[in-house]
Amino acid sequence: MSVNTFPVDKAATYPPPIEEAVDAIEALLSGEYTLSRRAVALLLLQHDEEIEGIVRRREGEERFAAIAEHIRKAQAHYREPLSMVILAHRQKQAQAIAQQVVHYPLKTGSGLAEWIGRVCMQPLTGIPILLLVLYYGLYQFVGVFGGGTLVDLLENRLFGEVINPFITHWVKALLPFAPAQQLLIGEYGIFTLGVTYAVALILPIVGTFFLMFSILEDSGYFPRLAMLIDRLFKKIGLNGRAVIPMVLGFGCDTMATMVTRILETPRERLIATFLLALAIPCSAQLGVIMALLASHPGALLIWATTLVGVFLLIGWLTAKVLPGTPATFHIEIPPMRMPILSNVLTKTYARMHWYFREVFPLFILASVLIWFGQMTGLFDLALRALTPVVHLMGLPDEAASAFLFGFFRRDYGAAGLYRLQEHGVLDGRQLLVTAVTLTLFLPCIAQFLMMKKERGLKTALAISAIIFPFAITVGAVMSLILRLLGVQL
Amino acid sequence: MSHTPSKDARTQAAHARVVLVGNPNVGKSVLFNRLTGRYVVVSNYPGTTVEVARGQARIGGTTCEVIDTPGMYSLSPITEEERVARALLLQEQPDVVIHVVDAKNLDRMLSLTLQLLEAGLPVILLLNMMDEAERLHLHIDHHALAKHLGIPVIPASLISGRGVEELKNIVSEYLSGRQSRNLPSAD
Repeated sequence: MSVNTFPVDKAATYPPPIEEAVDAIEALLSGEYTLSRRAVALLLLQHDEEIEGIVRRREGEERFAAIAEHIRKAQAHYREPLSMVILAHRQKQAQAIAQQVVHYPLKTGSGLAEWIGRVCMQPLTGIPILLLVLYYGLYQFVGVFGGGTLVDLLENRLFGEVINPFITHWVKALLPFAPAQQLLIGEYGIFTLGVTYAVALILPIVGTFFLMFSILEDSGYFPRLAMLIDRLFKKIGLNGRAVIPMVLGFGCDTMATMVTRILETPRERLIATFLLALAIPCSAQLGVIMALLASHPGALLIWATTLVGVFLLIGWLTAKVLPGTPATFHIEIPPMRMPILSNVLTKTYARMHWYFREVFPLFILASVLIWFGQMTGLFDLALRALTPVVHLMGLPDEAASAFLFGFFRRDYGAAGLYRLQEHGVLDGRQLLVTAVTLTLFLPCIAQFLMMKKERGLKTALAISAIIFPFAITVGAVMSLILRLLGVQL
Repeated sequence: MSHTPSKDARTQAAHARVVLVGNPNVGKSVLFNRLTGRYVVVSNYPGTTVEVARGQARIGGTTCEVIDTPGMYSLSPITEEERVARALLLQEQPDVVIHVVDAKNLDRMLSLTLQLLEAGLPVILLLNMMDEAERLHLHIDHHALAKHLGIPVIPASLISGRGVEELKNIVSEYLSGRQSRNLPSAD
């Protein structure tokens, strides 16, 4: 008897050939197992590889062969695999119990919530709903309100007119050394750049995004979106299940890369990881880009179309190149629920807290690194190395710094871009090219580390080695096309 | 995978272990938050817990470790998250396994309960989302269910906290019986 074993007489029973095999196998098991011997025997009958390995090790080859013989004999009674037989019998008993204890109402409820849930899944109504959600939820709320109104309030009014002049004044008064001043309040200073970016730019944008995301998440919209997109996803070697990491990717690609674990095959996990790294902008980027392009709706449209195109094209190509068959799709559809305000706020807070704790030190670190680079001349060297690349994309020299930041974190790069736009350095066309290229880049070092953890170093390096040249090429080609066509944005 | 932890580890582990299992999106993370006071992100969205969360809780005077698992549909894993959840059940030698189910879809969920019983695990069945079941005018006879399964069955609505106290009482009963249950197999 193993440690926690409880009486098992109330559990499911199976037809005689299986029960006989279970008894025989149980008698052959001498080792101690965490699960009951009955459960071990049943899992062996279902060809559970992990359990087979454990039993083989613990009982020795000879006994294992005897066990295998019993399994073979039991299997001989059925045409379908034993795992199916066992599953079916257990399910039948589970349903029988449920039928005895659950009393269903005569009429199946079809409330408003259920109706909303249904129309979200049907293409004819679902796609317009998706567009509405994107327009009001993402564009208007996050881009225009969060990235426009709130950022203006915080960055220009609070930081630009109150906090930074105050800090600048005191730093100048107390620290009369140029390098120290440069570190704290210079062009890329800890206060003037690091803290300002984090608090005045990223915080309101990410905050509004997480708020919207939490509301949608709690309502039960996402699994319905998964159903809606399933058919499209099948074409790119994924299924609706992959919508989960993809949608989470709009929150944070790093977290979403971890969530690719829910996918069934290694092939799907690889495709999803690659697409997340390439074509799904995370909340920070998305917000900043929304804010950046909000004043150029045409550019925003082209940006979105390009990304969707890249996503589908690359997904389709990857599915072609990688061998394997698409997995089948099944997802639990939870009911539509009215989100509870306190839950939404707690969740938004938890995510912002987590995000902020993650980026804040990095932003500060970036300021310090850039300062160090400037003091030693390395920063200029890197900028100069990037300048031809930037020119290739038809961008001015100043954009090189945004790209350099972009290598560090995409949102950081995008925030740098935001600054350039505010100063009117970039025109609409150039903004668009930069936004597309930065979106295609790997979001941040954290995601690279997560890819390494989940998929291994080789795959992570391979994905990065494809992404960087690809992003720059797309940028260059796009710039060329826009110039040739003489598009003004 | 280490199947059975060493005896030393088991006797040294002063804390009782409470493991939460169930299909995706049935409220395991909400229960985890309720029991431990820690916050893990909860969503109306299957498959959002992919890592194992651990936290401490005091239940009826006993400090125990509460372990939240990724969702699983059965003890025969298909996806990696199910593999993680089962490995946890195998490794952790839980003192209590709380099987959280969606009361509205009991017929689909009891199969896993039967499997957990089959495995000889100390299971408590928590019927979550009773509020939604009631709104659908589903009536669930949890006394009869408890009799069928031979384990405690608790109706609950975790989002509002209903059923949590009763659950704690029963967990604490299980835990106080823990010492005696462990003795016979000590050698």
